[in-house]
Order: sequence, then structure tokens, then C-alpha cells
Amino acid sequence: MITKIILAILALVAAPLLGALITGVDRRITAWLQSRYGPPILQPIYDVLKLLGKEPMVTNTWQALCAYVYIVGAALSVVLLFTGSDLLLIFFVLTVGAVFLVMGALASPSPYSQIGGQRELLQMLAYEPLLILVFAAIAMVTGSFKVSAVFEQTRPLLYDLPLMYIVLGYALTIKLRKSPFDISASAHAHQELVRGVYTEYSGPFLAMIEIAHWYEVILVLGLCALFWSTSVVGMVVLVAVTYLAEIIVDNVTARLTWRFMLKSAVGMGLVLTLVNMLWLYAQ
Amino acid sequence: MLDTLVFVTVLLPFLVAAVLLVLREQNVRKVILVATAGVLALASLAMLRGGAFIMSPAPLYDTLITLGDFVILFVVLFVGIKRKNQIIIWLSVAQIIGLIILDFFMVKEHGNIPAFFADDLSLVMVLIISIVGSLIAVYGIGYMKEHEEHLHLTKSKQPQFFFFIVLFLGAMNGLVLANNLLWMYFFWECTTLCSFMLIGHDDTEIARKNAERALWMNVLGGTAFLFGIILLQKVVGTLSLQEILARGPEFAVAGGAILVPMFLLVFAGMTKAAQAPFQSWLTGAMVAPTPVSALLHSSTMVKAGVYIIVRLAPVYAGTYFSNFVALFGAFVFLATACLAAGQSNGKKILAYSTISNLALIIACAGINTPAAITAAILLILFHAISKALMFLCVGAIEQKIGSRDIEDMRGLFAVMPRTALVAIIGIMTMMLPPFGMLMAKWMAIESAHGQFLLMIMLALGSGVTVLFWCRWAGLMLGTPVAKAKPEAQDITVRAPLYILAGLALVVSFFSPVVYNSLVAPVVKMYYKAAPYALPYGNFDSPVGIFLVYPLFLLLGLGFYFALKQARKVTAAQCSQPYMCGEQQTVDGKPGFLGPLGLHVPVQSGNYYLEQFFGETMLSKWINVIALAVLVIMLFGGAL
Repeated sequence: MITKIILAILALVAAPLLGALITGVDRRITAWLQSRYGPPILQPIYDVLKLLGKEPMVTNTWQALCAYVYIVGAALSVVLLFTGSDLLLIFFVLTVGAVFLVMGALASPSPYSQIGGQRELLQMLAYEPLLILVFAAIAMVTGSFKVSAVFEQTRPLLYDLPLMYIVLGYALTIKLRKSPFDISASAHAHQELVRGVYTEYSGPFLAMIEIAHWYEVILVLGLCALFWSTSVVGMVVLVAVTYLAEIIVDNVTARLTWRFMLKSAVGMGLVLTLVNMLWLYAQ
Repeated sequence: MLDTLVFVTVLLPFLVAAVLLVLREQNVRKVILVATAGVLALASLAMLRGGAFIMSPAPLYDTLITLGDFVILFVVLFVGIKRKNQIIIWLSVAQIIGLIILDFFMVKEHGNIPAFFADDLSLVMVLIISIVGSLIAVYGIGYMKEHEEHLHLTKSKQPQFFFFIVLFLGAMNGLVLANNLLWMYFFWECTTLCSFMLIGHDDTEIARKNAERALWMNVLGGTAFLFGIILLQKVVGTLSLQEILARGPEFAVAGGAILVPMFLLVFAGMTKAAQAPFQSWLTGAMVAPTPVSALLHSSTMVKAGVYIIVRLAPVYAGTYFSNFVALFGAFVFLATACLAAGQSNGKKILAYSTISNLALIIACAGINTPAAITAAILLILFHAISKALMFLCVGAIEQKIGSRDIEDMRGLFAVMPRTALVAIIGIMTMMLPPFGMLMAKWMAIESAHGQFLLMIMLALGSGVTVLFWCRWAGLMLGTPVAKAKPEAQDITVRAPLYILAGLALVVSFFSPVVYNSLVAPVVKMYYKAAPYALPYGNFDSPVGIFLVYPLFLLLGLGFYFALKQARKVTAAQCSQPYMCGEQQTVDGKPGFLGPLGLHVPVQSGNYYLEQFFGETMLSKWINVIALAVLVIMLFGGAL
């Protein structure tokens, strides 16, 4: 019980900081790939501190509520992951945040916010089934949906579920809205979308959303780490390689349409899942 | 005491209905309805306190039931002849012949089977029917008043309307308490007839057409039910549900002879629960006044369908048939969730989501493990509350804004803040943790663990579900900052909305208690094991853990904090939305300044993804596949 509480507090405090650092590194590597110098590693934190100091402005009071519920959902799902709770439960709590983010966007009549909200729903429609399938596959191997059961495995999940790891990667690219799936919102303003779901959030509320995003980065990388649960070094290497791959994909691809995203996510997700399951049965 | 309770829950509604039919005084009707609602709710609670029971009323009632059976069948036959509907005519003739054979030649000693028996499953059902159903009846008072004013009727049709509404409640209570399957058959047919009359209540052409469709589909189900019990009498030699539940598994394991009647009964349940390919009767039923839809969708009718499927689940546990039921349920769950995502008509979204959730319940019955049955029972309970709430909200909204299209509900919060908030609570309790629906869905998905095909369909289906609920909730919030003035509403409309919203939240909070005292005992009785332990009130099993109280606490605190932050926002901190054009606000509604200085209001719409979720295109395929699964179920599973 005590360890769980310590882990929970660690998750609450350390996760966003780590997430900020990773985002900072992401920006540096992206800059390097684009032959720029790039901002300091701590820039995301400076950005958020500056946002927090600004006067709150909204177009609709519900947006303030939605921004805060979004961060609560994101933080709580990281806490659940760190305390070894249930994978599906983590997923559902994550959905709470995602749903409120969209509701906040839909609450504003701005066309960019509206289209961002609608597209974010499509992103959710694409990644949610994939995540559930990945969790179900993990449960096939460990016999339980509990995160703690993963750590009782004697060999890394990646051996049994290599294809599911690809499915997870696909889902995570959509979840983190990395290119080519930065359909509902992009890291920087683009003219056809402005900032999609984020368009109407500003000041401290945007800061909340940024911090929530850091939590989500950690959650996502934590889920990746589960695939090499047997050693800490293995986890770090797997996560680092995966994130590096994400950054490269982010930089070399252009935004795709939501139709392509939906069809490819469902099609590829189902095929890879079925093949992986057959392989698991054959073993 | 027990006699009185059964009398109050089953027979009293029949008597009250008869009084309401002849009564034309509006205020007296109001008093009688509210009093009946209160009495029913109290009686159901008292019955719950009393626990399981078996009861046989006087033999006279057996004769009455038989008589009632024939009366209903002849009424249906008459309707068939009047409407010149061959299907209804021949199916009711088949039922009359079947019933004569069963009643006079097969069942030798009438009256030696207890008519009623109740375990916790029946008691939960009685609770749902008597409380949620009664609330809907009360809501009907205020709703029908406005409804008839709107229609400019010269002569009120309310006596008929409430006659069938209250009759419906009694019939449903009888159905879920029945032990003798002949009795259950009577109540089953009662609900078919009531729904037919209620769907056709407004007597427009479309209402008549849809009522007729509902009738033939349900008469088909009724025929399956009757032939199912005839075969059961032949195979098991009894019509006592209790005895069938006790001895059924032997027959199922031995040779599968019992699976044909099981198929027929489950099929009857599927027609009543409007599963594909019979979904069109329920989507057609929305032409009726809203209380009817609310009643059909939440606490009665469709719940009778899933009740019989869940009720009989222990009998067919562990058979191939059961696997097919699970597959069928999972498929319809996914398919109708897709149909819901393609709709902008609020009532139709609700209708398809009902079918989808019922399919999930059926899938759980098919998975047939203790955890899955727990999920099924909890889904029945939580779905009844939240779906009734949603329908009543849409009804109230429709009467105010004159549309049931969700696109017209944009910014509803400015017009009717209270109803909008209640509707949002309804939506949240349908799809998000820590509420009961989601928890039951969690149980369902985890109990499908290991059956990958099921898993895939459930995963895809729940993704689609979030899509259509979330955008509905979001667009109702889209208002300018100005404080909305609370709308006026009849107390008989408002009270049921508030009570149901409260129930949706409170019952979810006490879900561990509900599980422990109502669900676990019945699951243990039929499956010899309870699926979850409850450390600190969290649902724990080797397969997974659902944290009820920590989530309620943390999400609740978080929500409270968020609300406080939102309250801090002052009017001065409100700005105009970013439109990327020259902006002009007229009457507090933002828009663009167009050419020649004209105001162009901003307009937006949801994605309905016609190419993926178009109703006409999808329905055809869904019906074909569902029918194919049903045929395979009969021949591959039952034979």
C-alpha cells in the first residue's frame, strides 16, 4: 500500500517533468533533422510557465472545465499505470480526458475548433480499438489485464507479440497526433487547421493541456516499456528506439487524410492482430 | 405479506389501468398515476427486502391466464385480418393451434406448478420496472398534456394511453416473476399487444405502419416462444422455469435435445430485444410519444427479451449454441453502434444505441461465465436508468425546440440549461468511468478475454460508441458566455429527470453494494462461483481490477476542482472565438461580416461518415449477416 502511494506521487510529480524533457529532446532532434539549431531542452517548461502567467481568456466557461478535466484524466491514467492497475481501466480513464478535450473544442463555434473536435473524434475512433486489441493480446499472454501481471513474466512480451508492438506504435502515433496523423491538431499552427482542437484554448488553460500532453507522452512510453518488462535497461532501450523512430516518422511524412487513417488503422490493426494471434496459438 | 406484494406489483397495475381507461378527469388521473408509481416503487423495494420466494395463487387464476392467452391471440388475429397482414394472421393462427395442443393435450395437471418464483435476478428486474417504469409513467402526465395541446385533439386520448402504459408495467412485472412458462407466455403476449397499441397511439399513417411492423415481428417472436415451450414440455416434461434451470444443464450436456427449444426461446428474446435483423421495429417505434419510447427502450419490452436470454443462460452454458449467441451479440453490438454513429436524429441514435447495448448483454449471456453474467445483469440495470433518462431528456428538448435532431441542439445550454446538463449527465453515465455502464462494459470485455473474434468486435464497437456520445454532449455546450436562464418545466417532467439523473450517479457509486447483495448471490446460485472479490469495494479478480471508490474519489475531486476553476472565469475574461475572417456578433451569436455588410451566421455540422456508417447501405448487410448467424446457430449449434 505504502509503495503504491509513493509510486502514485512519483507518477504525479515526476511524469510531467520527464514528459517535458522528452518533448524538449524531441524538439531538438526535430530541429537537427531540419538543419536548425532548435530551442533549449527546457523550452517546453519555459513555454508552460509563461502560459501560466497569462490572463485566463475563454470563449465559453465550459472550456475551462474541460481543460482541467482533461489533465485530471491524463494524470490519473499515469498514476494507474505506475501503481500496476488494470490496463483496460487505464484506457477508460484516459478516455475521460480525451472526451472532455473534444467537448471543450466543440463548445466553441470557431470553425477550426469544431473541425478539430470532429477530427479528434475520428482519431479516437482509430486508436481506441487498436489499444484495446493490444491490451487483449497482452492479457492473452499474461492471463490478466493487470499491469502487475506483466512484470511477473519471465521473458519480454516483445518475443510473443512483435506484431502487436507495431500495432501499438501505430495507435500511439495517432494518439500523440504525430505526423502523418496530426489530423486534428498539429504541433504548430497550419493554415488549414490553425491548431484544431487546441484553437480556442489559451493562457493557463492551454498550459493545462500542454501538461496533460506530457502525462500522455509518459503514459504512451510506459505502455511501450511493458513490452520489455524483464529489465530496466531493456525498457529504456526499447522506449528510446521507439520514440526515435516516432520522431523520424514525424519528420519524413506529410499529413494524411482521416479516411486513410481510419481505413489503415482498422485494416492493418486487424490483420497484424490476427497474424500475431495465430502465431501465438501455433507456439 | 408476500401475496400482497405480488398482487401490488402484478395485478394492481391491471386494475389501475382499467380505472384509468374509464376515467376522464385529468387531475384525478394525475393523482392516481403518481400514487400508483409510489406504491409500485415501495412494493418493489419491500419485495427486494423479502428476498427469493415461490408462490402459487389460487387455481382460478390459471384458468384466467389461459382465457387471457386466447383473448390476446384472437385480438391479434383480428388486427391481422383488419390490416390484411398475412404474416400476423397465419402466425396468430399457428399460436392458437399450438396453444390448444399445449393447454388441452400436453399439460396434464394444471396448477401443480408454482406460478411465480423470484430470485435476485427477477427482483432486480422488478425494481427496474417498478421504479424506472413508474417514473416514465409520471413523466407521461406532463408530456402528454403538452403533446395533445400541440396536436389540437378535440377528445383526449390519454385514458387509452395511460391504460396501456400502466398495463405494460404490470405485465412486465408478471413476466419477470413468472415461474410457469405458460404464465410467462401470457405476459409476453401482453407486452406485445401493449407495445403495438402504444406505438400506434398517434394514429398517423406512419404510426399505424410502424405499429403493424412491430406487431408482426413480435408475433413471430411470440410464436417461437410458444413452440419453444411446447418442445420444452416434450423434452423436460415440465413448464416450471425453476425445474428447467435445475435440470436443463443435464439435457444440454447429454444430447442437445434441449437446445432446439432453447434456440426458439432465445430467438423470441432476440426479436423482443429488436436485434438484427428485427431492429426496424424498435427504430420505427420512435414515432410514438416519447414516454412510450422511453418505456420500450429502458425498463420494459426490450428488457423482457434480454431477461429471458440471461435467465436461460445457465441451461445452455458450455454448449456450441452459447458460443454462437455470444458471436451474434458481439456482431450486433458493433453493427448497430456503427448505425448509431451515422445518425443525426437524436431518438434514432438512442434507438440504435439501445439495440447495441442489448446486443452486448446478449453477448455476455453467450459468453456465459460468472463474470459475463454479472456484466449482463449490471448492464440491464444501469442501461435502464441512463437510457430512460436520455429519452426523457430528448422528449423534453423536442417539445421545447421542436426538433429531435442533434444538430438543432447546438448550444442547447443557452435555451434549456437544466435539461441540457441532465442530458450531459446521462451521456457521461453511458460512456465514462467510474459509472456503472462503463464498469459493466469493462467486465464484458474482460470476460471475453481469450476469445479473440469477440474481442475484436467489442473493441471496435466501444470505439464507435464513444464517437457518437461525445459529440452529442459537446455540441450542447456550445453557447456564448452569457448566463443562461433556467427553463420552466412541469414538475411531473422535471422530477423524473432529476430523480433518474440522481439514480444514475448514486447507483453507480454503490455498484459494489449492488453487486454484493443482488448480483453475486444469483450468479453463485447458478454458476457455483462469484467472479469478483471486493477488497476496499474494488472489483478484483485474477483477470483484472476495477477501482470503484478511488476513481469516484479522484475523478470526483478533479471534477470539483475543474468546476471551481471554471467558476472563477469572469465575464471580462470572455472573448470571441477565432473565426479567421472579419467577425460580427448579432444577438450574441458569432458570425462573419459578409459582402455588402451582410451578416453571415457561423454554421457547423458533425461528420456522420455516410460512406462508412450510412444506414441504407449498412442495414442490408447487417441483416444478411445477422440472419446467417441465426441460421448457423440453429443448425450448427442446436442440432
